[in-house]
Amino acid sequence: MTAIEIESLRKAYGDMTAIADLSLSIDDGEFFGLLGPNGAGKTTTMEILTGQLSPDSGQAAVLGVDPATQPTAVREQAGILPEKESPPSFMTPREYFDFVGAIRDMSDDAVTAQTESWADRLGFTAKLDTLSSDLSRGQQQKVMIAGAFFHEPDVVFIDEPLANLDPIVQERVKRFLRSYRDDGNTIVVTTHDVDVAAELCSRVGIMYGGELVADVRPAELDADVTLLDVFLDNVDATVDQGPKSLTHE
Amino acid sequence: MSDGRARRVFVEMLREEWRLHSRLFRGSHFSLFPVFICLLAGAAAKLLAVTGTEPKTVFAGLHALVFVFGLHTGSIGFVGRDALRNLLGDVTLLVFSARTLPLSQNTLLGLFVVKDSVYYAVLFLLPISLGTVLAVSGAAGPLLVAETVPLLWTTLALTFVLGMGTTIAALGLAGRGVPGLALLAAPLVAVGAALASGVDIVFYTPYGLFLAQTPVRAGTTGASILVVFLLSAGTFDATAPRPARTVTPAFRRWWRRIGDPVATKSLLDIHRSAGGFGKVLFSAAILFGVTAALVDFAGQITGVPPSTGISFGAILGLSGFTTYNWLTQSDDVSLYFAHPLSVKAVFVGKFRAFLLLGPLVGLAFYGLALVWRGGSVAEAAVGGVLLVGVACYIFGTTVYLTGLSPNEFLFDTALFAVFGAAMVLPLVPILIAGFAISPLSGTLLAALGGSGGVMAVVGVALYRRSLPKWSTRYQQA
Repeated sequence: MTAIEIESLRKAYGDMTAIADLSLSIDDGEFFGLLGPNGAGKTTTMEILTGQLSPDSGQAAVLGVDPATQPTAVREQAGILPEKESPPSFMTPREYFDFVGAIRDMSDDAVTAQTESWADRLGFTAKLDTLSSDLSRGQQQKVMIAGAFFHEPDVVFIDEPLANLDPIVQERVKRFLRSYRDDGNTIVVTTHDVDVAAELCSRVGIMYGGELVADVRPAELDADVTLLDVFLDNVDATVDQGPKSLTHE
Repeated sequence: MSDGRARRVFVEMLREEWRLHSRLFRGSHFSLFPVFICLLAGAAAKLLAVTGTEPKTVFAGLHALVFVFGLHTGSIGFVGRDALRNLLGDVTLLVFSARTLPLSQNTLLGLFVVKDSVYYAVLFLLPISLGTVLAVSGAAGPLLVAETVPLLWTTLALTFVLGMGTTIAALGLAGRGVPGLALLAAPLVAVGAALASGVDIVFYTPYGLFLAQTPVRAGTTGASILVVFLLSAGTFDATAPRPARTVTPAFRRWWRRIGDPVATKSLLDIHRSAGGFGKVLFSAAILFGVTAALVDFAGQITGVPPSTGISFGAILGLSGFTTYNWLTQSDDVSLYFAHPLSVKAVFVGKFRAFLLLGPLVGLAFYGLALVWRGGSVAEAAVGGVLLVGVACYIFGTTVYLTGLSPNEFLFDTALFAVFGAAMVLPLVPILIAGFAISPLSGTLLAALGGSGGVMAVVGVALYRRSLPKWSTRYQQA
């Protein structure tokens, strides 16, 4: 079964093309990674798929629903971890989860149970009643991750999920993501971290200049080829070049 | 700052502010803004002149309005701490983004305030001075105009700075416990005593300096500004370290009563951001003071006692603008997009929050006005209807024109002109009736009450009509 279908998607911001003719299909239960350098079009793709942004042309469907025409219906079914957002400054994590539960018509008992479960899983129980503006970036990221999975959606879109997290929590989140995928759910992650994509994803689409330039399964790569090799072969950049001023002397 | 870093940051802040507004409102819209203000001020002054108002009265009223404007602008003190922590969006980004520079955060906030003063002085006060002087004294010849414009501009700028400094100093003193409050009360008592003993303190203000440029008046003006800014610098600390705030959960309780998660969040935002609900009351209190002054002023000119109900009701309804401003202060629509909330649902939530807060605050001050100034029951009832009608109308117009960014559109000439016209057209006839006609006949009262109802309906219709536009706009950003 296809969970996500994209066909000839285009999006431009003025003169700058963010997505140029992107077509892609993601199956149910896949852990799909959108990998690419900064400005490759990953976040724009994610925003279109979650109905936050309208494409200029092309079609997309998430679980059979068109996010351009039914954005709320898509977000009803999906979980979303936006890249730049943090929880509302003047709400505590507990209140943010109450807010999420209220929007999603969850019962008080379910909200309370999920709140305690996620606070325990990611280690922020002691911060549940602290205003989000007074939390560290890492703690805020934990709250946002919990908010994305709070209603146990079938499809989750997560943008740079491990940003600002310490190594221990990163490992916990990775384990959770794998188990969530193993339960048959679909996860789409955007990242510019090649190691994260290689470690977590069953399939990786490499984006560059708004196009999908490669579609690979890391587990099926030859032993002497890494995802980084594939990435560098497909993007117009090498790590050895660049202005000398960027090196520390 | 002998190394010039503060000056450099100040210049860059000015430059960035210009770029920000030019980009937000397109260059032509922004650069035409002073021209529009000049024309608006000139037209208003001319209208007053042809209706027989003395130039001296026009200049006095202008200084009073600018002082109130300064007082209100000083409420930056309320948001200073939040601005430094980037909790309030793009407009305060200049403060936040500069926080890693080797300057104290109080210096940065001080530079931000000075930058704002320069902007207001150039974009508002200079064109207001030019327009007013041309309208009132233009016929007296170019020499008098050339002499009066710089003088008026200077004293208006000083008045604005005095007003802004007064608010910041008051906020600083209010945060310093009993000694601060005592120090805050001292000048108020002194002013009261001076008034009671017949001393005309106006002569010692920037307006006094406008009337006569004597060394004494220049000295007292300079001294009063120096005192409020020394008090501000000494007592106001936007960066005072504060422990992480732990609060008793309130969302669920509030939500059960309010019934809308976005409305609940919006009210919690106001409650917990710096200044709390006090900042909403402060904005309405300033409008209350302006109305009281206008009522007295109009009574002197027309010789007719203005209707407390109609005048206070219509003007206090305008507090809806600042209330909506506070309701959207810490919002970012993209946060809502992480949830199954439509743009329409966000605006519906804002409207609910507005209905709970806006008219209520206005009506509280309206009740105060009725107790203080009295008035007939019929006029009081009609004034109440007008207040709610004007509040809904200004809400609908603001949403229609600016969406969730009401605080930024003031610098867009086209939007500001449309907004101004939309306010003036229905309000001027109402205010003329309230200020200049007494007693009000039953028919006129019924018409005024009806116009309040119509304004409420138009406001709600404008708000509803704008929803598809904003849905498209925010999704294509």
